[in-house]
Amino acid sequence: MEWDFQSIRQEAQKEAISISDQTSLESFRIKYLGKKGLIPQVYSSLATASKEEKPLLGKNVNELKNFISGLIEEKKQSVKDSIKQASKSNIDVTLPGVASDIGHSHLLTQTMEEICGLFEKLGFIVQEGPEIETEFNNFDALNIPSNHPSRDGFDTFYVDKSDPDDKDKKLLLRSQTSPVQIRVMKANKPPLAVVVPGKVYRPDAVDASHSFMFHQIEGLLVDKDVKFSHLKGLLTTFCKRFFGDKIKMRFRPHFFPFTEPSAEIDISWEQGKKDWLEIMGCGMVHPQVFKAVGYPKGKYTGLAFGLGVERIAMLRYGIRDIRLFYENDKRFLEQF
Amino acid sequence: MKISLRWIKDYVEVQIPPGSLADRLTMAGLEVEDISSVGDDTVFTIEITPNRPDCLNMIGIAREISAVLNKDLILPKIGKISKADAKCEIKIEDKKGCLRYIGTVIENISIKQAPKEMLKRINSLGLRAINNIVDITNFCLLETGQPLHAFDYDKLAGGKIFVRRAKEGEKIVTIDDVERVLDTSILVIADEEKPVAIAGIMGGKVTEVTSATKKILLESAYFDPILIRKASRKLGLSSDSSYRFERGVDYPTVEKCSNRALSLILKEAGGKIVKSSDVKVSDRKAEEKEIVIEKETIDSFLGTETSVAEIKNIFDKLGFNVKVDKKKIFTIVPPSFRSDIVQEVDIIEEVARIIGYDNLPLSMPSIKVSSIAESKEIKLRKKVKQILISQGCSETVTYTMINQKHLNDSKLSDIEKLKILNPLSQDQEMMRPSLLPSMLSRVQFNMNRGQKDLSFFEVGKIYTKKGEKETLAVIMTGVALRDWRKLKQNNVDFIDIKGIVGKVLSGIDIKDSDVSYKISEVSFFEEEVSAQILLKGKRIGSVGQICGEVLDSWDIKGASVIFAEVDLESVYSYSFSKKHYSPIIEYPLVTRDISLAIKKETTFDEIMNIVFSDSNDIMNNFNLIEEYLGENLPGTEYKGIVCSCKYQSNKGTLTEEAVTEVHERICQSLIDKLGAIRR
Repeated sequence: MEWDFQSIRQEAQKEAISISDQTSLESFRIKYLGKKGLIPQVYSSLATASKEEKPLLGKNVNELKNFISGLIEEKKQSVKDSIKQASKSNIDVTLPGVASDIGHSHLLTQTMEEICGLFEKLGFIVQEGPEIETEFNNFDALNIPSNHPSRDGFDTFYVDKSDPDDKDKKLLLRSQTSPVQIRVMKANKPPLAVVVPGKVYRPDAVDASHSFMFHQIEGLLVDKDVKFSHLKGLLTTFCKRFFGDKIKMRFRPHFFPFTEPSAEIDISWEQGKKDWLEIMGCGMVHPQVFKAVGYPKGKYTGLAFGLGVERIAMLRYGIRDIRLFYENDKRFLEQF
Repeated sequence: MKISLRWIKDYVEVQIPPGSLADRLTMAGLEVEDISSVGDDTVFTIEITPNRPDCLNMIGIAREISAVLNKDLILPKIGKISKADAKCEIKIEDKKGCLRYIGTVIENISIKQAPKEMLKRINSLGLRAINNIVDITNFCLLETGQPLHAFDYDKLAGGKIFVRRAKEGEKIVTIDDVERVLDTSILVIADEEKPVAIAGIMGGKVTEVTSATKKILLESAYFDPILIRKASRKLGLSSDSSYRFERGVDYPTVEKCSNRALSLILKEAGGKIVKSSDVKVSDRKAEEKEIVIEKETIDSFLGTETSVAEIKNIFDKLGFNVKVDKKKIFTIVPPSFRSDIVQEVDIIEEVARIIGYDNLPLSMPSIKVSSIAESKEIKLRKKVKQILISQGCSETVTYTMINQKHLNDSKLSDIEKLKILNPLSQDQEMMRPSLLPSMLSRVQFNMNRGQKDLSFFEVGKIYTKKGEKETLAVIMTGVALRDWRKLKQNNVDFIDIKGIVGKVLSGIDIKDSDVSYKISEVSFFEEEVSAQILLKGKRIGSVGQICGEVLDSWDIKGASVIFAEVDLESVYSYSFSKKHYSPIIEYPLVTRDISLAIKKETTFDEIMNIVFSDSNDIMNNFNLIEEYLGENLPGTEYKGIVCSCKYQSNKGTLTEEAVTEVHERICQSLIDKLGAIRR
């Protein structure tokens, strides 16, 4: 039998061009290399070929086989690539991803942690104290006179429990975080530097800017030679770190029974326009407070400061209504 | 308090614009909150701190201005008042309530309009003209801070004055035409028959000075601040007088102001003084307390370099008596009206505020390492919150005050509670004894606003008579994870919240094996879906599904709500992290599954106990893969479970035989002890 190797080659080459997938590649392979395929047929014709024809025929069939195998290998790769290509274009990369939700820390917690964190970096330690307090810690020890109006039921909540140290007196809900100063000083000797976050209570009717429960952060630094300039330096550093370098600030003389001299700090964001916002109270620890905790007279000086967390957060995030903090609307919580 | 700039200028020279003056006053501790124009006058509204009652008048403010601007203070001249020989009959019966009472009777006065200049001044401060006598008393009050009162003498029964407590139920109609019922806590000025004024607060209608008045009694007194404050609050009545008495008036000014008023009355209304008395309970001389302070002390505290002259001048201007010796030691006697000045720091503060805090230097303190450490609770709480947030729960901060209805609605009626003695309203009558009402109210609030998928937690306190306790609450409803690839979105259930509680506990280093859950009835949970959480056998909280009744009470509809509460203080005290590295086992892990049909009432704990007691220490992990009910089980009393057992040894590669031996033993035990059927 005569084989036209040249045209078989050409034919195979033509067919190969149209191979686009696995199926057509397979039928191509079967046509040439399968058991009943062309190449085996050629091989079998070798047996009947004359001695003279055999070498040339053998050479040609081997060449053809290699050629076909080469085509198949080549096509295999391109089919693979096209499958890859096809599977790639199957995904709509704009579909929404799926992941479990991450919860949100309450804005008040975040604000307290940030403020406390700034002081911690300066060497302060976070301390806490109870919300149910004695009149002594909340008032007496803080140099607030026994007849002071803030002790009235109009300004302080009292609870139905007697003071274990003074049975005639009822315990109260602390109206400030300052009693923790007293607890810390009673339990420790200077030097000490603490910040105290926590809830405080005052009987104010609830409206956009008042709440009977709110949060404060208190700070106290006591050592042998704490000066007024330290108060200014420390709190200027804090305000600039928290509110930004560009703020203007001022220390305005004020009155608190437990500090002397006392000041309020005002800040202003707007250049030129003097729109001062009061952000915190501070002062040098009053000698009467040291006396109340049993520190020797004249041995130590100290500075103290306190701020309202809600107020600071409202100023910083543009929140106009304090009630938003306690409503806990999911859409509020998830903004921060 | 309001001040008139026109009026101030009677006593001190002011050459700077009102805005600048306001800034200077603010920075000296007298915060100007508002500046407004009244006619051709400028009026400042100033916040006076409670330690400065001496600034509740024009002269007091003028004195501050004189110190701040370094100008002289010019006090009004009071002509000589010739007192009458005859005594005014005044009896102070309450010697604690009234320390001094000056009464002066003037006859033949003519009631008319007060002079224009005077009216301009009091009008600027919002007081309307009444008649020359009343206007003069008001003028003097605003000028000196000492409240005065003029009675129509002819209307005083018996012409006598008694300073006494009111009798229970005694009544008086005050000049504002309101009848007020008094009690024994209230100090009154009375004649022989009746109260004619509520002492220090407001005069009575009957003895009011009118156009018909011919003879007056002028009162200038010192009333006890606390008594006045309490009466004012009790009556819900405050006045320019009570405001000043409450904060304390100046004892010597009682007389000075009386004389000032008398000289004005004699000048403007004519008449003649016919009786006068100055009744003092005790001849209280102003305690002349000397404060000795070195210049060096001031400079060192403030970081300043002041001069002796500068400091002396500040105190001269503020009306203090200052002496200084060659060693630069000051001896300072504060004036009677500055009862707030008692010790060195008070002197330092005066210097600081007059110089201006903003003019003082600043420096950073060197903060030494103290012996105080951050508490374990704070660290653990942070971790608890982090874990919950990572599990998709958002933190709430809720009010800690609730009411009985909240408790009833939460089926917690009988819980022990801590009442507030003076609640703001019945809505907040107690401190919460549980976090459940707070959390339910937040679920209700959010669901009412269309938020249906909620996962909230709060780390807050609960309160009882024993004290306060930090507690964790987790509440969930709706779908925790929405995945659009799944056809059905699963609502959160008991297993979800139990998983979260488990994560929290293991996250703060509490061993899984120390925690157990026991089915038990909790009032607010569904009977079947309610468990106690035990830590080493001790109850630390509960977890379950809120029962329908509670949801109905809270008006939470169409949702199941799951809740967990954990006493964090018990947990904190138990948690101690002593982590130690355990080597990672390099030998291969062999996994075998067990598929069993088992009685429905058999708990997973029972299975686990058997598995681990028979595992020969080579059981590395035992996990539930599936629990199912259905037809392919031996009976309806059975459930099917599939678990995977992972075997591994730290001594060497486990042989097929070794694993099979243990695995078969476990299966056999489950069959023998629990009646399980292998599948």
